[in-house]
Amino acid sequence: MSLHRDDYIDLCAGYALGSLDEGDRVRLERHLDEGCEACEKALHDFSIGAKLLAGSLPAETVGSALRDRVMIAAGSIRPGAPATTGDGAEPAKVLKLERPRRTFAFPALGWGLAAAFAIAAALFWSKLETARTDLVKLREEQRWAAVMNAPGARLAQLAPTPQAAAASFKGRAFVDPATRRAVLVLDGVTAPAGRDFELWAIRGGAPKALGLVHADASGHAVVRLEDVGDPATLAAFAVSLEPKGGAPTPDAPTGPVVLVGKVEG
Amino acid sequence: MAESEQDRDVACLLRIQTGDTRALGELFDRYTPLLYSFVKRILKSGADAEDTLQDVWIQVWRRSTTFDPRRGTVAGWLLTVARSRALDRYRSLSSRRNAETRSETESAPPPAPRDPATAAVAGQTGERVREALAQLDPKQRQAIEIAYFDGLSQSEVAARLAVPLGTVKSWTRQGLMRLRELLPAEEWT
Repeated sequence: MSLHRDDYIDLCAGYALGSLDEGDRVRLERHLDEGCEACEKALHDFSIGAKLLAGSLPAETVGSALRDRVMIAAGSIRPGAPATTGDGAEPAKVLKLERPRRTFAFPALGWGLAAAFAIAAALFWSKLETARTDLVKLREEQRWAAVMNAPGARLAQLAPTPQAAAASFKGRAFVDPATRRAVLVLDGVTAPAGRDFELWAIRGGAPKALGLVHADASGHAVVRLEDVGDPATLAAFAVSLEPKGGAPTPDAPTGPVVLVGKVEG
Repeated sequence: MAESEQDRDVACLLRIQTGDTRALGELFDRYTPLLYSFVKRILKSGADAEDTLQDVWIQVWRRSTTFDPRRGTVAGWLLTVARSRALDRYRSLSSRRNAETRSETESAPPPAPRDPATAAVAGQTGERVREALAQLDPKQRQAIEIAYFDGLSQSEVAARLAVPLGTVKSWTRQGLMRLRELLPAEEWT
């Protein structure tokens, strides 16, 4: 265990601000890894100081769409999945493959190593496939995030109707007229047993079914529509509470409409 | 920060590790205003700050296990992640030189918050911190501000101020410890 020295406290101050040079950061983290109550206490205090400093800046208003973007992206990524960009976190573990020898003094040892090599290769291949799958998912998320960031994107705020059972129903829709894709983020849409929520597009006063809404256990749902139809005639979105499986006809909700929002822009 | 706040934040991170998106939403709501002001100060652009914060929260979602409570608070960790991401974007935008030039004229204490609704409490704390900063030795204040708000490493700060690196380290520690003396004790618990 390395002994605590006062100069480590200097490093703790820079660490809390994130301004330590790499060599100092590594030196301090090695010391911290061995355990040092004095430095841990200093880091706790200095990190509170860092928060207070950041809080001294003028308050700024962040766009409301950011939350949706984050939650949509998080919904498709499992926690702990490897990052695709450098973030200073520890590197991913990589299987080290040894080059097999050409001859073996003992055949059994050779077969054993061959089997180990095969297992390692299979594991490596499995990890490669996982990375490829993650990349495909990430690209898919980027494609949908582009809907919300599109320059001419049209927005709709969905609010509960008087027929809604709960005021916690809410939603937001983004439509990219150029690609005709749409993303809707809905909250509070936990369907009662034996019922389903169904999404509708309203054009010229007439509803058109867009499909069922599948929410998670918290009532949060993200609906992605590859082609929402002609954006020029799209007036509003609505959500109705239907029998299990949805309304029997695609142009007339049978249950109460609980959410509705006009498409602006 | 009250101890319960740290406990609540750590509990959120533990829930995030189980895949609980609501926990991510809670942490997002609690800290995005703070992180946004901080990142925007570094990047000087609201759009870049939002894109950076999206990366920050996805990193939190992916890598919440990298938080180590022995190395500071959750808020401090979030700010460090945000600062690091903001600097990555800064460099990729090749705008650092311009920003450093701007920072020469922007090192004065920031103006008061414009939006009173965003909170009286936060506003009062911010005002107290600004007043405390104004009472610091100017060299200590400058070393802290250009490192934290302009994204310079300590060796870059030393070069900027034309002083030895060890001096910058001491000024940073002394400045933060002086802040602790100047601000009410409840802000540090």
